[in-house]
Amino acid sequence: MKTHYLIIGNCAAGISAAETIRKRDKSNPVLIVSDETYPAYARCLTSYYLAGIVQEKDLWLKQENFYRENNIDAMLGTRVKSVAPKNSLVKTEDGQEIQYQKLLIATGGTPQFPEQIKESTKGVFGLRTINDVRRIQEHIKGAKTAVVAGGGLVGLKSAYGLRKRGLKVAVVVKSPQVLSQMIDQTAAELFQSRLRENGIEIMTGIDITGVKENGSVTGVMLDNGKSLDCQIIMVGKGVQPNTQILEGTEVKIDWGIPADEYLRTNVENIFAAGDVAQAYDIIKGEQVVNAIWPSAVEQGMTAGENMSGGKKKYDGSLNMNSIEFFDLPVISMGNFRAKGPEFDIVSDLHKEKYQYKKIVLKDNRLVGLVLVGDIRTAGLLCSILRNRADVSGIKDSLLDVDFNYSDVVGLKEIPKEYMTDKIYCGSGKEN
Amino acid sequence: MKEIYCDINLCMACRSCELACAVEHSKVKSLAGAVNETPRPKQRVHVLGMKGRPLPLSCRHCDDPACVKACMAGVMKKSPKTGTVESNPDKCVGCFMCVMVCPYGAITPVLEMKKVAKCNHCEDKEGEKACVSACPTGALFYGEPAEFEECLKKRKQVSAGKGA
Repeated sequence: MKTHYLIIGNCAAGISAAETIRKRDKSNPVLIVSDETYPAYARCLTSYYLAGIVQEKDLWLKQENFYRENNIDAMLGTRVKSVAPKNSLVKTEDGQEIQYQKLLIATGGTPQFPEQIKESTKGVFGLRTINDVRRIQEHIKGAKTAVVAGGGLVGLKSAYGLRKRGLKVAVVVKSPQVLSQMIDQTAAELFQSRLRENGIEIMTGIDITGVKENGSVTGVMLDNGKSLDCQIIMVGKGVQPNTQILEGTEVKIDWGIPADEYLRTNVENIFAAGDVAQAYDIIKGEQVVNAIWPSAVEQGMTAGENMSGGKKKYDGSLNMNSIEFFDLPVISMGNFRAKGPEFDIVSDLHKEKYQYKKIVLKDNRLVGLVLVGDIRTAGLLCSILRNRADVSGIKDSLLDVDFNYSDVVGLKEIPKEYMTDKIYCGSGKEN
Repeated sequence: MKEIYCDINLCMACRSCELACAVEHSKVKSLAGAVNETPRPKQRVHVLGMKGRPLPLSCRHCDDPACVKACMAGVMKKSPKTGTVESNPDKCVGCFMCVMVCPYGAITPVLEMKKVAKCNHCEDKEGEKACVSACPTGALFYGEPAEFEECLKKRKQVSAGKGA
């Protein structure tokens, strides 16, 4: 089989790339291959699906006729076995061979399971796919208690989902705090207390040493000598980029697949985007996997443009995220955990109101932040951070409740299109 | 594309636009009824202070909208026909990714509903926009950029004439 553009992966990055390519190149064949049988859906919504907040029909990214209408071929339910970059050839597990001109690796990631919690044990689940949710829903019928291993984003989303389904949930976190990759200790304490108030038990500084089972999960053993009964264990111990199909090839693999400023791998006609791609991070200044939806979409669009003859530089991604549980929203960005004399850290905590803001500055530039409770200014601060704007003039107002667009717009590093003169003009005297 | 513009020399910060916007987004669409609604209807335009001058700000309906790229639930869409960045609250789950990336800060999180509120150009309904209609000084203007420039030019001529 032959195609011009081959895209492995059918989620945010893959679909964005395919759409971008189609806008620029109407004729050459585009083929998407995915191991899942479903049309493209929003993986990040699966936890909302588990919680019963959205229905399965709300998960689909595109209309049913998307592939046909855009003249995109899709081989769904087909797993890629290997890539032979020298021959520009992809082999699938069902024995097909696909010849490509340009290849995009948008294979995403897979939940990691620690050694002591085997994925194969009945009642142990990760949370990423529709099938995961379907299997969990089936399994929790009659279940009363759940243990979640890991206090990261996926762990807490799993806990929230199961709690909404009426289960008693305990989250066992090895680190001293939840969301250690996303927020600092102060923010985590607010968060933990909000989760506890809503019936989710949080056990920090404790690890699971083993699983009890009798054909299906019955409990976990903890490193403090105690144990917990449960009928389901959900694992949120991080996600590993799906790089397996490139192992042993010319394509360089690090944690993910390193991609340059055009999102090209070290092989000329192979690109990478999304949760598998290790692309430039604005704050860290190096190639990092920032596995978030907005980055996946942007990377997919950029890769798609460059695969179809464009020369578009990727702006770079940011370590950032946004979540909300039980009416407590939190957004963090960049190096929120920075310590040292070179950093200028300003924070404002109102424990009783569950509000906390912290910004980290270096050489008068914003490099990191955490906002809990009041997140309204996040987008403005994101713009400041992304554009590396000098904030020496407005440093004191960055944490203000009424900090707004008018504070940002005068900064010289903010791109012209965000300037007022394009939108707002005066009919009287100019000032 | 048609946009909401502001002649900032004419804005007096009366906030009539804010009120009209909230009423437009209420169930009953009347001020008397809107104040009693729970949750309170949310305005999507905010009058800010800009160098000591008022500045009404709402969604700018960017050419390359960051919110559309950030939205995983398919809430945010840029209409190819009107250019409006339309948000569909029915699909919103309140992940607030759009709030995180909007460079104008023009998307408001509505926590009690787990949704966001932003200007949809009065859902692209025909005719005047609520904020524009409510503006007593004519500071707010809805139309093509060229039409706005034309309007400003005329106003300048008039004020120059008066000055002479």
